[in-house]
Amino acid sequence: MIELLNIAEETATTQGQFSLVSIDPNTIVFTLINTLIIFLIYFFFLHKPVCKILDQRAEMVNKEMDEAEQAKNEAAAVKAEYEQRLQESKEEANKIVAEATKKAQQRETEIIASANEEAAQLKKRAEESIEKEKKKAINEIKEEISEMVVMAASKVAEKEISEKDNEKIIDTVLSQIGEND
Amino acid sequence: MATDLLKTAAEFSVQGPIWSFDFYIGDYHVIISESIVVQWIVMAVLAVVFFILGRNLKVRTTSRRQMAAEYLVGLFRNMVRDTMGEKYHKYTAYIGALFCFSILNSLSSLFGFRSPTSDLSVVAAWGLVTFVLTQRNKFKTGGVKGFFKGFVEPLPFMLPFNIIGEIANPVSQTLRHFANILAGSVIGGLIYFALGQIANGLGSIGLPAILSLYFDCFSAFIQAYIFCTLTMAYVSGADCSED
Repeated sequence: MIELLNIAEETATTQGQFSLVSIDPNTIVFTLINTLIIFLIYFFFLHKPVCKILDQRAEMVNKEMDEAEQAKNEAAAVKAEYEQRLQESKEEANKIVAEATKKAQQRETEIIASANEEAAQLKKRAEESIEKEKKKAINEIKEEISEMVVMAASKVAEKEISEKDNEKIIDTVLSQIGEND
Repeated sequence: MATDLLKTAAEFSVQGPIWSFDFYIGDYHVIISESIVVQWIVMAVLAVVFFILGRNLKVRTTSRRQMAAEYLVGLFRNMVRDTMGEKYHKYTAYIGALFCFSILNSLSSLFGFRSPTSDLSVVAAWGLVTFVLTQRNKFKTGGVKGFFKGFVEPLPFMLPFNIIGEIANPVSQTLRHFANILAGSVIGGLIYFALGQIANGLGSIGLPAILSLYFDCFSAFIQAYIFCTLTMAYVSGADCSED
């Protein structure tokens, strides 16, 4: 080992060679310049563009996440709105159906009532006409009978009786007939 | 045989970086060492890699190339954020560049170069940067008052220790990085030398590979990581602001 150290000492800065452990200002200055150049190359060729891309990407991701959040919120709002609308239209439909049913029922009772009324009227009218016909028939019969009676009476009496007396007699006869039946 | 080995061990030596070329600017002797030339090669490789990784980036992508780029930048971003806090995100690029530069400088030994990081001057330059950044941050966050106040805290008689501490931090991190890589290459060299001596290359297939994996690859990574982490810790630790 001692020999090794001796050799190292022997090779201390000679012409054309630095010693193993030496500080040389030239090398320091050139190393500084080289380091600066490498720094600039690294900075402008690699660091700056990559950082730019990374920042852009981060920005893009943030933006897209925000957009997604927004879209989600919007979708939720739209969904809520549609659900509400659906609910409303369901209610409305129910209301319409109920109203229609009510109206129909009302109409039904009305129709039935009017039909009943009409039927009653018809019945009444029919009864009235029947009554009238009956009376008419009775009157006709009465007249016929009275004529027959007059005829019979005139034939029997063979005697001219004034119109007035005639009627008086007929009425008497008729009332007697009426009492009899 | 053991004595033979010891005798021949004297032939083994680890040299400092050679002068690749030198010239004069006026009276000043400019020496371009091997370390600087290797750095230029590493820089060229890194520039190509950074350029390829960093072009045609898209916000939406499945490209492996872009994923690698994003992973790398994200790694340094997280490293700086976790160690220094969000406030110091501007140091991310320096830390990233330093990490890549340091690790490739150390790994250049795999291609038969002399690692620039096993040259004290190279790592000292980075240590100097750390020192400057630390003092600058102290000045920036605390102002003149905070800067000088930091030296007499907690008690005025601590002044010399504080000054030593300020200098010792970058010096220790520099020496740690430099010495680990240098020691790795020395051990690697010794192993190759010893194996060459005892077996004439017969045993030099498996063992150097494993050792090289540790001393070159793992050590290169861990030293770059430690150096960057310490730089971040020193700079953010110099924060004098009240919050």
